[in-house]
Amino acid sequence: MTQLTEGAIEILSNGSGVNDAVLQLVNIRKIEGGSGPARFRVMMSDGLHTLSSFMLSTQLNCMAEDNQLAPNCICILKRHVTNNLKDGRRVVIILEIEVIKSADEVDGKIGDPTPYTEGNAKVQQAAPNTEPRAPLLQQNRNEAMNRGSNRDFGKKAPSAVPSTPGGSSKIVPIASLNPYQSKWTIRARVTNKGSIRTWSNSRGDGKLFSMELVDESGEIRVTGFNQEVDKFYTLAEVGKVYYISKASLKIANKQYTSVKNDYEMTLNGESTLIPCEDSGDVPMVQCEFVSIGDLESKEKDAVVDVIGVCKKVDEVTRLTTKSNKEVSKRTLDLMDMSAKLVTVTLWGEEAEKFDGSGQPVVAIKGAKVSDYGGRSLSASFSSTVMINPDIPEAYKLRGWYDKEGHAVDGQSLTEAKGGGGGNTNWKTLSDVKTEHLGHGDKADYYTCIATIVYLRKENCMYQACPTQDCNKKVVDQQNGMFRCEKCDKEFPNFKYRLILSANIADYGDNQWVTCFQESAEAILGQNAAYLGQLKDSNETAFDEIFQQANFHTFIFRSRVKLETYNDESRIKATVMEVKPVDHKEYCKRLIMNIRKLAAHCRWIKLFCYGKESLLHHLKISCRVDQTGLWSQSRITKHY
Amino acid sequence: MAGIIDVPKPRVNCSMLSQYTNRPVCFVGCVEKVHPTGKTFTVSDGDGKVATVELNDPLEEELSGVVELIGMVSNKGGLTATTYTMLREDKGIPFDLELYNEALKVVHDFPQHYPFEVTSSG
Repeated sequence: MTQLTEGAIEILSNGSGVNDAVLQLVNIRKIEGGSGPARFRVMMSDGLHTLSSFMLSTQLNCMAEDNQLAPNCICILKRHVTNNLKDGRRVVIILEIEVIKSADEVDGKIGDPTPYTEGNAKVQQAAPNTEPRAPLLQQNRNEAMNRGSNRDFGKKAPSAVPSTPGGSSKIVPIASLNPYQSKWTIRARVTNKGSIRTWSNSRGDGKLFSMELVDESGEIRVTGFNQEVDKFYTLAEVGKVYYISKASLKIANKQYTSVKNDYEMTLNGESTLIPCEDSGDVPMVQCEFVSIGDLESKEKDAVVDVIGVCKKVDEVTRLTTKSNKEVSKRTLDLMDMSAKLVTVTLWGEEAEKFDGSGQPVVAIKGAKVSDYGGRSLSASFSSTVMINPDIPEAYKLRGWYDKEGHAVDGQSLTEAKGGGGGNTNWKTLSDVKTEHLGHGDKADYYTCIATIVYLRKENCMYQACPTQDCNKKVVDQQNGMFRCEKCDKEFPNFKYRLILSANIADYGDNQWVTCFQESAEAILGQNAAYLGQLKDSNETAFDEIFQQANFHTFIFRSRVKLETYNDESRIKATVMEVKPVDHKEYCKRLIMNIRKLAAHCRWIKLFCYGKESLLHHLKISCRVDQTGLWSQSRITKHY
Repeated sequence: MAGIIDVPKPRVNCSMLSQYTNRPVCFVGCVEKVHPTGKTFTVSDGDGKVATVELNDPLEEELSGVVELIGMVSNKGGLTATTYTMLREDKGIPFDLELYNEALKVVHDFPQHYPFEVTSSG
């Protein structure tokens, strides 16, 4: 029978530390709350008393999730810290715990422990689950800085710990960092450092930078703002090792990073970053490489590490973003031992300086998975691009490629860009409805081939501010002057702008769309100024233009979004671009789709026993126009 | 023969001609060589295969480029044309014979979905 460390609960309750106390776990429960990882609250017994104010540090959550920590199991409390809450209560954070007897090996509760009450060890009958739990959790979360003792801390630090320069705190592994203690120093290597980014909004301007640190226990992302940028940005060099202490920790925002840590670090006025010379034992970089062949099973926007041989590299191109910034872009194809290729896009400085000569091994840490062109990758500002990195995976890959890989004609996960360019998302109008495009949080964009069936002549033009770039509607002052609220000016004139409602149709459905200036001009074949003139002077000619424009077919690129006005939600479709149909491209695409679908059906037919008639359920209707080319095609699946 | 304009005429290429002996078809191809008599010429299809076309009456104009022919498939695997139409460039875009050929194959590969060839009952 295992002996519990009697009296340990009393000592822990009083805020003191106990070395390797043997305790029995009485109860464990998950506390769901807010964002961030779940927390586990644990009740422990030393055979005499129970204490319910134990919390599991989040890096140990897996032990609870795997049911290693289950009621009745006996454990050694290896490391812990005690935090004092504002109201005087104490919480024991378990940092390291070892199960010495699993729950099923133990024959129920040992002894007859009673809940421990501060100050006296008197027996209390109060049921443990009646005490308020939520406030404890809340305070626990708010107490970012711990004021408790951490005397047992740092045991797990590397055996040959160099002394911390100028600091009393011990070297701790990154994996043990949490918001509940502040006296720590880590010894870690900077593996990635982003460039300085600035922001400007109504609350002012600012700048920030992020970097990633790694030691033998794990990794963490670090961000510095404003003064900390000035203080630390140049000091921190990628590849070098530093002692870091006194930074704030908070729950990591996993959306922007692939760094495997529940917390991230923010540098503050007290933080220190001291270079460490003796750094051989600190690992270089931590990557968990995903095979390129496995990328297809990854979710869009997942962040992954990949390594591959750069088979092909394109020239740098420059493009202008929506926010009118010019950025450089370069794409390259990586292949690994799965004999699959993927296209990776590099941006900005990474794109400009990339040298793909000699087919180097390229490792990318933190690349984002995109569904652009099937499956592709994008190296964002938080990614690290390493050329011929000094890691075993790179040598293995190089060896494979030089021996046999170079002869392999790899299959790409990324489709070659079609003549349409851009990320065309071809849809039929019925797809738009059945797939509920625009119902998500973000607007959806799609491209379709459709025919104008109706143009609403009424209110298709408005009188806009004549100032260049200001398209605000002006108010007719009825005195020959027109007022623009935006420019806060009156003008003797205005310019006509188009806002055209059109009904477009394809073989299966139709949709109302709004076309602004350029797209409306493309549909009507006339410019807005001329149309405005005609509207005022020659209504017959004006009507004629609308009649003429009917039944023309175009490629429409549209944006759809569910919008709500007065509690009524409806899909609003706005045309971004109107282009003439390239019939050849269109035919090629249709033929390719039919062949693909037929191959797919053959496959289904093979595997669905007794469903020979399936192909008959695949309806394809098609019309051939005068030129012998197909103008419309329909493929409907029924299964 | 009188009703060739009114009956269904499957679109075919050279390799399909043999399956349509003595039946009316529609053939699109590029004019290769016109015989000096003007009564016969050769056409190539999208696969590059060549077929011989015979006319009942000599040509009255110079024939070139892509033509659409309607006629009967002869026993020799040639074509006896009743009418022809020259398919000129449309808005500067030449007729893409290869693309047409691909579309043609789709139509023949999935006849159940392209019921152009309405079976004449009788």
